[in-house]
Amino acid sequence: MNKKFWLPIALLAIFAMVLAACKPAQEAAPAEEEAAPAEEAVVEEDPCMGAKPGDEITLLYQWSGTEEEKLNAILAPFVEQCGVVLKPESTRDQALLDTKVQAGTPPDVAFWNVAQLEQYKDILIPMDTLGANGDNYADFFKDPGTIDGKWLGLPVKADIKTIIWYSPAVFEAKGYTVPTTWDELDALVEQMVANGDIPWSMGMESGDATGWTGSDFIQDILLVQQGPEYVMGLISGEIPYNDAGVKQAYETYGKWASNPVYTVGGAEGTLSTGFNDAILKVFSDPPEAMMVKQSGFAGGTIAAQYPDLVYGTDYDFFPVPGAKGLQGGADWLMAFNDTPAVRALVAYLSSLEGGANWAKASFDLSPNKGAAGNYVDPALIKKGEALANTTGFTPDLGDTIPGGFGSAEWAAIVSYVNGGDLDAALDSVAQAQAEALK
Amino acid sequence: MNKHQTTQKFSFKNLPVHIILIGMCIIWLVPTIGLLVTSFRPVQDINSSGWWTIFAKPKGAAEYQTYCASCHGDDGTALPEADLSDPNLVAQYKRSFTLLPSLNSEINGQPHMGSISVPDETQTANIIAYMKRMSGIDSSSKITLDNYIDAFTGYRGNNTYRADCASGNQSLDLYCDIRDLMNPRGMGRAFVNSLLVAIPSTIFPIFIAAFAAYAFSWMDFKGRQWLFALLVGLQVVPLQMTLIPISRLYAQLGLNGTFQGIWLFHTGFGLPYAIYLLRNFMGSLPKEVFESAYIDGASHWTAFRKLAMPLSVPALASLTIFQFLWIWNDLLVALVFLGGEHPVLTYQIGNMVTSLGAGWQMLTAAAFISMALPMLVFLLLQKYFVRGMLAGSVKG
Repeated sequence: MNKKFWLPIALLAIFAMVLAACKPAQEAAPAEEEAAPAEEAVVEEDPCMGAKPGDEITLLYQWSGTEEEKLNAILAPFVEQCGVVLKPESTRDQALLDTKVQAGTPPDVAFWNVAQLEQYKDILIPMDTLGANGDNYADFFKDPGTIDGKWLGLPVKADIKTIIWYSPAVFEAKGYTVPTTWDELDALVEQMVANGDIPWSMGMESGDATGWTGSDFIQDILLVQQGPEYVMGLISGEIPYNDAGVKQAYETYGKWASNPVYTVGGAEGTLSTGFNDAILKVFSDPPEAMMVKQSGFAGGTIAAQYPDLVYGTDYDFFPVPGAKGLQGGADWLMAFNDTPAVRALVAYLSSLEGGANWAKASFDLSPNKGAAGNYVDPALIKKGEALANTTGFTPDLGDTIPGGFGSAEWAAIVSYVNGGDLDAALDSVAQAQAEALK
Repeated sequence: MNKHQTTQKFSFKNLPVHIILIGMCIIWLVPTIGLLVTSFRPVQDINSSGWWTIFAKPKGAAEYQTYCASCHGDDGTALPEADLSDPNLVAQYKRSFTLLPSLNSEINGQPHMGSISVPDETQTANIIAYMKRMSGIDSSSKITLDNYIDAFTGYRGNNTYRADCASGNQSLDLYCDIRDLMNPRGMGRAFVNSLLVAIPSTIFPIFIAAFAAYAFSWMDFKGRQWLFALLVGLQVVPLQMTLIPISRLYAQLGLNGTFQGIWLFHTGFGLPYAIYLLRNFMGSLPKEVFESAYIDGASHWTAFRKLAMPLSVPALASLTIFQFLWIWNDLLVALVFLGGEHPVLTYQIGNMVTSLGAGWQMLTAAAFISMALPMLVFLLLQKYFVRGMLAGSVKG
């Protein structure tokens, strides 16, 4: 009988020991945090902002694979200088960020989309508080990250989308010239069709995000037909998504995207070909299509699949002809905690040195002015110039408008390419737009 | 069981059943075999052709025979001034659009191809592929272990781990020796972490549930049925609902990102079902056995240890298997409570590719690494499965 009573007691003891084992670690953490700001006042000029070796920063970002490798290379000088320990976590599941924030355990720093700046505007630490160097960024990069007059997000990585990839060697062999106006592009497309070539590879399958490639294309057409102010109007909600201008852009896109004469596989090919496969179709042998409109990352996809191809002669890009301004995406650093180590990280990334190191790592473009002249990859040099010389920069609609707008836009494109009613599709996106911007 | 199988005679009455079974096996197996084959192919091959072509003849051999062999010879050396096995010459013809113009041109006033028609673009591309192999420019193998090596070591570059280590420009956290197997970003380390999560998270709930099930079955105390009903009812609590509150609680206790935290979580959520299943099984054991044991003076502890546990082995085994596999394959809980601190297999698989899907050849290998242990568990313990699924379903 005695033994019977011992069982639950033993079990309770096990749990108590398990819990007790974790307790000291938790008690030690706040003590460190309290001690750190005191030191900060002492060392004013310290690039590490008073961060001590061994201080930890928890990071959450969507990058993985080779991207993570490049990020590590960028942050390596900072880690070496300050001895800060990075605790990264990588996921593309936004629910994890939301869960962590709601549970009261947000990461110190998250690299996420501009929409999250709006979502967490009440709890994010402003960049000015953290000592970010705002002079190193163009206004059009700071503006999307400024919510209610507070600068909340540091744009760390940018990519331009308003470009078309092609093979200069194939163009030369077939007698095609790079167009400089939209009419020339139109004429070139017709010329290719007359020659029996398929002009576009427009495949956009991407799992549950299918359609984003199409939304990039349509936004570029909007930049050609309407200009950057119009796109900004869509973002602010002044112009509803079912406006005649948007419809015109959809029709221009749909003429190509759903016709097997203009794109590989017609509507079915557009909907079912993966976006990475779509890039490769232009550079396979023999090429299945002549051009693919895709962001800057396409260069890396081509290089990985065809190591023998040379940038500049075998593959290259030209800006979408006639586009007024550029469409681009940026990844934003947002800080949930104000610690010396976070300040040091923000100071490093917003410094000219940080921008230069970002450029040297070839991790797409850096909006930091320090990046200029430091790119080593020829494609990035050309993209960097395009970005530096642009007259207008418009962020990606789907990334910028929060809520369900992005997926509504993608669904509309898929339904339209599939032969669905365009007006109904645009109406549903306009509804999502109105709800998101209420 | 074996005896029964061997004495069963084949009859046509069973033919439709056999056909359906074989068909279902094929439907299940083909994608898995495809994945397995793909995991051994180099990335360029994966992107350009299907896995079934791995057994196909070399690309372009037929085209070469048709269009070129009559003049250039089977080994490409028949025309000394146009030696197709010469790497320098072949290097000029990277693509069909570079070779086609020269096939269309004239040589000594005669059409290059003589009376043979000029091949089309695809055929030309295949001929180039064949010439590259013949001349030694393309010496890549069709089968490679690189995907597995890259996955195990957590290689994150643009090439392969072996190529980077051979050229000496591997990334900072790689040593290019046996230590890389335990690289925090690799599947090797993740495998160990998964074991560290799964084994205690399997043992704890089943151990505790066994005590509870015995008590519910053979110890008489007030409110027993109500307590049991409450525990069974706990099964309806959706795990996802509790992530945020438990994460908050763990933050206060300092359990986020620790193995103890995830053990506790899995123990908590595994218990209701484990108790339910084991109680039904132990409750169905013959009452007389226990009564005679008590009469002989056995305490509850003895009865539990000497009777209940040995008799419940089938139920315990099946419960172990199911709980283990569920934890092994769990991503959500591991992501929220362990995350990047101690990456487990499911977490690391997703991190093999970039956010734009580059590097997915490693996924195929990573998938097989994570599949290895469950497959082993299935093969070794399969006799418990059928018994396990019936456990507790019929109460004696």
